[in-house]
Amino acid sequence: MTAAAAGLWRLINGREDIGRTPWFWGPALAVIAVFALLPLEATEFEAYNVAYYLLNVPMALGLSLLWGYSGVLSFGQVAYFGIAGYTYGVVAGNLAPSPWAPVIGSAAGLALAAAVGAVFGYFVFYGRVQAWIIPILTLVFTLLLETFLGQTAGYQWRIGHVQLGGYNGMTGIPSFQLGHLIFSGYAFYYLALVITLVTYFGCRILANAHAGKVLLAIREDVLRTELLGYDIRLHQLGVFVLAAVLAGLSGLLYVQWGNYITPSQLGLVPAALPVIWVAIGGRERLLAVVIATYVLNWINYSLSGAGNEYAPVVMGALLLGVMLFFPRGIIVTLSSGWRPNARKGAAKRDAVFDENGR
Amino acid sequence: MSIAAEPILRAQRLSKRFGGVVAASGVDLAVAPAEFRCIIGPNGAGKSTLFSMLCGIYRPDAGRILLKGEDVTRLPAFRRVRMGLGLTFQTNRAYHLLSVQQNLEIAARAAAAGRDAETEKRFNYAVSLFHFDSEDDRPARELPHHQLQWLEIAMVLAGGPEILLLDEPTAGMSPDETMQTAGVLQHLNETGLTIIVVEHDIAFVRKVAQIVTVLHQGYIFAEGTVSAITAREDVRKIYLGRTQ
Amino acid sequence: MNTVGLIASILYQFGTNAAFLLIAAIGLIVILGMMNIINLAHGELMMMGAYTATIAFHRGVPFPLAIILGFVVVAIFGAILERLVVRRFYGRELGALVVTWGISLIMGQGTLILFGPFMPAIGIPGGSFAIGGYSFSVYWIILMVVSAAIVIALWWVYNRTAFGLMARATMQNPAMALALGVNTDLVYMLTFALGAGLAGASGALLAPTTSIAPLMGQQFVAPAFITVVVGGGANVLAGAVGSSLLLSIVKTPVGLLLGAFLGTVALLLAALIVIRLMPDGISAQLQRLAERRSGL
Repeated sequence: MTAAAAGLWRLINGREDIGRTPWFWGPALAVIAVFALLPLEATEFEAYNVAYYLLNVPMALGLSLLWGYSGVLSFGQVAYFGIAGYTYGVVAGNLAPSPWAPVIGSAAGLALAAAVGAVFGYFVFYGRVQAWIIPILTLVFTLLLETFLGQTAGYQWRIGHVQLGGYNGMTGIPSFQLGHLIFSGYAFYYLALVITLVTYFGCRILANAHAGKVLLAIREDVLRTELLGYDIRLHQLGVFVLAAVLAGLSGLLYVQWGNYITPSQLGLVPAALPVIWVAIGGRERLLAVVIATYVLNWINYSLSGAGNEYAPVVMGALLLGVMLFFPRGIIVTLSSGWRPNARKGAAKRDAVFDENGR
Repeated sequence: MSIAAEPILRAQRLSKRFGGVVAASGVDLAVAPAEFRCIIGPNGAGKSTLFSMLCGIYRPDAGRILLKGEDVTRLPAFRRVRMGLGLTFQTNRAYHLLSVQQNLEIAARAAAAGRDAETEKRFNYAVSLFHFDSEDDRPARELPHHQLQWLEIAMVLAGGPEILLLDEPTAGMSPDETMQTAGVLQHLNETGLTIIVVEHDIAFVRKVAQIVTVLHQGYIFAEGTVSAITAREDVRKIYLGRTQ
Repeated sequence: MNTVGLIASILYQFGTNAAFLLIAAIGLIVILGMMNIINLAHGELMMMGAYTATIAFHRGVPFPLAIILGFVVVAIFGAILERLVVRRFYGRELGALVVTWGISLIMGQGTLILFGPFMPAIGIPGGSFAIGGYSFSVYWIILMVVSAAIVIALWWVYNRTAFGLMARATMQNPAMALALGVNTDLVYMLTFALGAGLAGASGALLAPTTSIAPLMGQQFVAPAFITVVVGGGANVLAGAVGSSLLLSIVKTPVGLLLGAFLGTVALLLAALIVIRLMPDGISAQLQRLAERRSGL
């Protein structure tokens, strides 16, 4: 192996996520193979559903990096989900039927999510606000955005020739296409799968890289980290913008999946969902978050058939239960118990979030 | 210790109040390069506040701070660290819940290639003081207390500071460990590192200090060599609680 | 004549905005000031108070009594919540945030399942009067008075009762208070109950001004949280009053000129600016001023 490849492998196989041994990678590759071969056995409809469970993973990964690794809790990631989705709808909708409209629209969606995240993050991190303020402000921001989009019902609320649509939302959003390849059906499934995998491994590399260690340091002790020469505000802003972009990525996949988006996607209940997935899986481990997001989305979807009203109650109860009995998350707790030389300190950590009030 | 050289760290008329408490009142300090300075004084004298101001954790109400000749009074803490200032805290602030390996990785902010030979030597020396296994995942707080203190010193040295500020580094250590720490710091000082220590342990101060500054109720009460200061009756009195 | 009416109208708008913010936020601030916890179930507690009052009112209970009933019922519920769930998260602020959010989900959706999507409204009592062509609602004038009364009542509780003394001691230094024999567990529970009860009363008071639905609490979330963020937790009353007044000064002109929604947006922008300048909130700033002024 060349030195570069060895370095990359070390970053992928680092300590900051679950699974480092062949006992892990073997089954992991098998699972990836199963997903890759799914279309051979499943109908297009089923593949489309699996794509839905997958497309929320980038947003959850971003929140994990933000909350689990950096100690910054955002309740408003769905705002960036929505910003990217709506922006894509506007840009791609206006540039249609050009075959490159979706690519440009996607770039625009991610760029706007990043820009808004940067401005918001500037006020929050360069103001050195107290930790509890951030969840509040991010929540308020997404609620305001939802309200704003909800009142865009009239015909005058359009950009170019794309209607914003008020509470009914924007419809007829073009699917993703590259040149003349349109990603619908199985093709979309593969798009979602590839993006999920790339995002996961990218985040895993980041967590193991030096930048990821700095995030841990900031989470653990802001003062000590600053006094080691780090510009805290810049690192926090950076991970916040990254999380916004990842949430935007999920938003893009969503509108390309369903070809519509409504303001309710930015509301109180959807805003809770990423926090729930990340808390239940275990916010400190990316793999735990991936698994939890997939499984919980699958459960949520199954429940929606049975009785939509109960889904939030079940989610809320699940969240409550996990917070009380599995504070580190179900999957993280299980995986810590797996290893024979598990951290002795881990038992002490289970009892409290940590001394810093998180 | 060269009296003629430009001080590497200088504070001019620093003042700071917290509500009704005067933490610092017109404090003047000048530390020469490669000096070993000890700051002593009864509890509440304002020693930690002085350090906090020097590092940029607190903004002084009045006065200036000059680092290597540059006015850094308004400079954020992390920029002062990058200019060559290092600080260990009164309560140990290594990352207790992270492993020793992670602690050292985080502390190595500049890439190893960016550190000069002198810095590298000092850092390696500090790391050699405690044993650790890079595969050991256990949280750093499982280290014995004195090694945790040395870990924090090593972390700060990773950044290659020219001045090291230590706030009561031997608090909680046995007499043996205290003397060991004194030897470590002396060795580092002999390589040219300027060291300023806030300390209570007089044996420690006697062993290492070149100049001692006595702080009392926020102002500089006395300054001089160890023997001169410890001989003074009025210094002994303020430690026993009688003012004047 | 019209100028008098105009001035009266502007003052009235200012007053209603301030009263609304204060009433919406007071329950939240009481809990924040004591335990440093943002109770994300606050909106749902307000909804619970509104539902209690509405159901009682439609059964013939006079409205003022229905409001008190709203206070009592939600206070008891709050005490139970505190005992069972919230107290495990003291010192763990973000954990408390997430847990109260879970509770809010359960409460909101649970109400939808139990009571359905609609509930008959309460008409605004009191009618309205006119000055120089502008109309004013008697009820909102009453709400302005009530919000002032709440502040005075809280001031009395905190500064003139034994409970208030113990509460302030616990706020400043829980360990010390405990060592001096204060039953801090009880203080926390009663404070949470008080905050919840106030939220319930607030929901009941504001019920006539809006429609009663399971998710009605959500409309108060944004304004209440912004008020709390700007106020900070250092001093409950100073933060509540100062924040409501300051934000109303921002919201009233923007709301009059650009509409209610942009008024709320202006609140968020004002909050961002305030926390940039005063990261600990207004109450901390006022506290520092008070200390300096008393010559310390």
